[in-house]
Amino acid sequence: MNTRVAIIGCGAVRVGKYPEKTEIELALEAIRQALNEAGIPKDRIGGLFTTPDLRGNIGLQTNQLCEYMRMTPKLMAEVCCGAIAGGLAVRQAMNEIRLGNIRTAVCYGAVREASIGWFKEFGSGEGSPMFEPSALQPYGSRGVIWAYALSARRYMEETGATEEHLAMASVRNRRNAVDNPLAAFRTSITVEDVLDSQVLCSPIKLLDSSASLDGAAAVVLASEEVAEDICKKPVYIASLGQYHDNSCFMPTDDADKSISSFVSTRRAAEEAFENAGIRPEEVDVAEIYAPFSSHELIIPEDIGWFEKGGMIRALERGETEVGGRIPINTDGGLLSRGHPWAVTPFYEMITVVKQLRGESGESQVPEARVGLVHCEGGMLNNGLVMILRGD
Amino acid sequence: MADPKPNFLRPTNVDSPCSREFWQGLRTRQFLVRECRGCDSVFFPPRSLCPHCMSDDLGWREIRGSGTLHSWTEVRLASPEFDTPFLLGLIDLPDGCGRLVAKVVDAEVGQLKIGMPVSIRYVDVDEDLTLYCIAVEQDGVGE
Repeated sequence: MNTRVAIIGCGAVRVGKYPEKTEIELALEAIRQALNEAGIPKDRIGGLFTTPDLRGNIGLQTNQLCEYMRMTPKLMAEVCCGAIAGGLAVRQAMNEIRLGNIRTAVCYGAVREASIGWFKEFGSGEGSPMFEPSALQPYGSRGVIWAYALSARRYMEETGATEEHLAMASVRNRRNAVDNPLAAFRTSITVEDVLDSQVLCSPIKLLDSSASLDGAAAVVLASEEVAEDICKKPVYIASLGQYHDNSCFMPTDDADKSISSFVSTRRAAEEAFENAGIRPEEVDVAEIYAPFSSHELIIPEDIGWFEKGGMIRALERGETEVGGRIPINTDGGLLSRGHPWAVTPFYEMITVVKQLRGESGESQVPEARVGLVHCEGGMLNNGLVMILRGD
Repeated sequence: MADPKPNFLRPTNVDSPCSREFWQGLRTRQFLVRECRGCDSVFFPPRSLCPHCMSDDLGWREIRGSGTLHSWTEVRLASPEFDTPFLLGLIDLPDGCGRLVAKVVDAEVGQLKIGMPVSIRYVDVDEDLTLYCIAVEQDGVGE
């Protein structure tokens, strides 16, 4: 009990469009890479934890995958609570290893959102009354851009941030994605490109937004005993923090609740820092879950690296670039890597693991030892923060 | 020519026991919120239980059809039920009893300022459904 748990292998396909593959085929490509990297055969995997594939198969996709690959893990589960699911799958696997029930686990996800368009119907209507029916639903056009736009506008009003500042976050992400072979969008862009792109819901424009795409990614977890035996550079999960703050996407039942700063991110980060025994400024590299550029400003402030509005100056000074004070989204983030829904947290973990192993090439943060992964579900009302350590 | 777009999505709780009176209230130009006889709290949106004390001994109370603009966006990309562009506002309802998101009608982008007072306007969108919209002038109950 209470063994440390390490990530010992990672695998992923490039985020994009895979109209001719199945979710299982994509998942197995990621899992095969991850097992190869870990140097562990599939027969030694004790647990298999996944995220929904949006195919309505009530969690039985793990059964299908095991049949397909003739795997017999002792424990299996599909975990979901919105797009935070990738983080929750790792949380469950980590806990099962710490309890001694298993010694190794594969956590994976695969979705083909660009190919099947499940989210086109998301949010409203008989099938999916996601938005509060009396307060949001009549005009809550399907999708979530309008909600993030309301949040972005309020943040700009309170802090003085401009659309140029939002664009600077998109440009930083794209600059990082150019060197990331897993990223969907790798062509350089400028602030002017972002400002000139199509307005979706003001102030959010096309290049302020993440694209829902296909993707598959997997990580292999192991107990410290197994990790030290087979892995040269295990990356340990030092802590996990999580917090849920009630709201139905856009908070409606409390007129005092902020939409420009989020309690769940703050509390999750506080718990993660406390349990890892570190201060926010000790983080060397971070991946944050920001589906729109405005939230590239909000989330780092909530995590505790900057005062409210402090990201404006940080972007102007390049403090979140590789080589800056706190490099954020060194792989392009959701905006440029692309956003295969609940698989996104796995891509974030993989980036941080590679940074902590010193395998990030042009995007490498020198001597990165401590990494942070943030993911969320709902609209930033269910936050998870993970601290990873490479030593 | 294509049929005109509804420009709203039909709420899924129009006929539900705990919300029906709210929607019927809009029909008679009343904005009704729930009041709890268990703990004297007032809350919106309507629910089957008081979110504070979990009592189900609930009544209705009319509040002013007004609010404060908390944020807004000009929606240019929307699902097919909507003509675009349109203005969407998030307002804080009076007396701290919740928020709602609605179309802002008869207003230009340049008129909108966060923190400005707004009023609820009632719009009969169907034979049996009235919705709320946001109006920037302070004329109380509009038509």
